[in-house]
Amino acid sequence: MANTLFYRAADLKEACALMAQYERRARILAGGTDLMVAINRRLLLPEVLVYIGNCGLDYIRVEGKSLIIGAMTNHDSILRSALVKEKAPLLVEATRHIGSPSIRNMGTIGGNLVNASPAADAGTALLALGAKLNLVSVSGVRQVKVEEFFTGPGKTVLKPGEILQEVLIPPQNENSRWAWYKLGKRKSDICSVISVAISLEIEGNLCRYARIALGAVAPVPLLAKRAGSLLERQKIDKTLIAKAAKAASEETTPIDDVRATAWYRRKVSENLVKRLLSQILE
Amino acid sequence: MPTLKLKVNGRDYKVEAEPTATLLEVLRDKLLITGPKVGCNTGDCGACSVLLNGQLVKSCITNAFISDGCEVITVEGLAKPGELHPLQKAFYEYYGAQCGFCTPGMLIAAKALLDENPNPTREEIKEALSGNLCRCTGYVKIIEAIMAAARELRETGGVIAGKEVS
Repeated sequence: MANTLFYRAADLKEACALMAQYERRARILAGGTDLMVAINRRLLLPEVLVYIGNCGLDYIRVEGKSLIIGAMTNHDSILRSALVKEKAPLLVEATRHIGSPSIRNMGTIGGNLVNASPAADAGTALLALGAKLNLVSVSGVRQVKVEEFFTGPGKTVLKPGEILQEVLIPPQNENSRWAWYKLGKRKSDICSVISVAISLEIEGNLCRYARIALGAVAPVPLLAKRAGSLLERQKIDKTLIAKAAKAASEETTPIDDVRATAWYRRKVSENLVKRLLSQILE
Repeated sequence: MPTLKLKVNGRDYKVEAEPTATLLEVLRDKLLITGPKVGCNTGDCGACSVLLNGQLVKSCITNAFISDGCEVITVEGLAKPGELHPLQKAFYEYYGAQCGFCTPGMLIAAKALLDENPNPTREEIKEALSGNLCRCTGYVKIIEAIMAAARELRETGGVIAGKEVS
């Protein structure tokens, strides 16, 4: 018999107070597309649900030069946003392949991150974009990089009582190039077998920076740092692309599961990074 | 148990539910509105699809209290009793159903599409139905039915967005 308490927080302050009061006993309810699945499967029965749909966390705006997206913003809003399309088209492309229309109407960017699936498509995209996250609690706001946020499957650096408030995406400039690929067993409502997001900045013929991110090939959405650093301050050619792709594959630590074997994931990681880098530099 | 208010197919309800209940459980078990089906119960099959304030959602993974104060349309609300919505008529005429289990969800997903886009391409219909599985007949006849219903609604200027559907 469930004795769960349900709170519809009136604002962020109340949500923080509730999370401070109940700490680990409470779960944030956003769109529910992951949480309710776990509840239906009897994997989870939270003592307290704190719904944050009325806390004013549904927004997309530009502050300074960064693009800021509130944690309660659903995938459909991101997909339709002219602002996200202009400032972070990579995120739009990744979002297009999340779930299906009805899932995108409910599922939120914050939920996609906090659920901390190694296959989280928004996570992979935001890693490549070098995004930061604002985490809020009664003691204030702290900021973490996306690559520091995930600590394991379903695990993040969120402390008891903390709430993911918003995502900050740094400006991309006219030299920014990107590519995205999601490999799934079907087109919709499917967990990635592998996803790859790449963001590069090329000036003249030199790569100023490179961020290569891969989903579903490690316990967390993975930023392949060594692969990225191989490209930086270099003129990228075919040989270097092959080297970076191999490095990215070596950075993965995939497992065998129902979707693919570890061997396959490693092999295809290399091929996809190679393909996307070639695509960007064509 | 806490209570919530819903307007379903134009009628107001006040109902008690567990805080972990889904909108689907409230509709089927409390309100006895059984058009939306329990398929996978994990948000994969779309048999439970309903419109929540006009938005297509999977009611099996929608917490009931998220929908507190909202308006819900299920397949029962597509047309007046004894009448068929153009989509329902087209599904019938084009053999868009076999066992019928996925049909309530298919119809609702199709309505969500046509409310926004009265003249969809075949590809747009496929995308709109991408969260709904049919395991009997396949999708060709369903897509043809939706194209036909869209045509009819455009030609007759039928109101599809509102509750009043002729």
